[in-house]
Amino acid sequence: MPQLNTTTWLTIITPTLLALFLITQLKLLNSHLHPPTPPKFTKTKPHAKPWELKWTKIYSPHSLPPQY
Amino acid sequence: MNEDLFTPFTTPTVLGLPAAILVILFPPLLVPTSKHFINNRLITTQQWLIRLTLKQMMITHNTKGRTWSLMLTSLIIFIASTNLLGLFPYSFTPTTQLSMNLAMAIPLWASTVAMGLRFKAKISLAHLLPQGTPTPLIPMLIIIETISLFIQPLALAVRLTANITAGHLLMHLIGSATLTMLTINLPLTLITLTILTLLTILEIAVALIQAYVFTLLVSLYLHDNS
Repeated sequence: MPQLNTTTWLTIITPTLLALFLITQLKLLNSHLHPPTPPKFTKTKPHAKPWELKWTKIYSPHSLPPQY
Repeated sequence: MNEDLFTPFTTPTVLGLPAAILVILFPPLLVPTSKHFINNRLITTQQWLIRLTLKQMMITHNTKGRTWSLMLTSLIIFIASTNLLGLFPYSFTPTTQLSMNLAMAIPLWASTVAMGLRFKAKISLAHLLPQGTPTPLIPMLIIIETISLFIQPLALAVRLTANITAGHLLMHLIGSATLTMLTINLPLTLITLTILTLLTILEIAVALIQAYVFTLLVSLYLHDNS
């Protein structure tokens, strides 16, 4: 049984630990097993409504007395 | 002749350098990584398989046991791919090495036991004595159960080594017998060839089953201790 020859054990064990505990795990972590979460619905920009008459500021601020 | 049979299991060297390192480090290359949302068929199939094994193995575990899912999945993939790659003719199978299997079995077993002692000390110590044991038998049984606990990683490693080694030996023997009989007795050769083909199919199955068994047993030890 050449498996019982302990001189080669170190050269077997070291790459085993490397391959199993580092590389395979990193590979599995980097492959996205879960489907990515769907993008949340971002708030739609408020449309410019024709009745929002912002561009004609006809009111004066509350802090100021009415000006004529 | 006896030496010849075991030569496939000696670690290969190329110009005196250990080639086994490359053989062992190769299987992780077969695990796909892709950052794309839509992949090709190969990667999709592999990821589906990985997800399937992950689900199948982790379904019995609680939350603490499920922290091991990465470890156990990589273990089964690593052993299965190593076993399957070893079935190629004239290739070296690292899983026939007892050292490799011990290197996989001992740390995992030890960490499950350590976890059990750390988080469930009473219950894991209670496993050392079966319920309903007659009082005079208690010291004896505790010794036996302790031995059986400590022999678990050894059994795990030897099981994988023995199964893979035996399969490869059998294929080697029947293959050489077929080749020798080719010039002597053709009908008998055909029968042997059929047996060899069936044995090869069996070995492919064994390669996967042994990977599963190894992981399942580690998973079982984990289940007992988590």
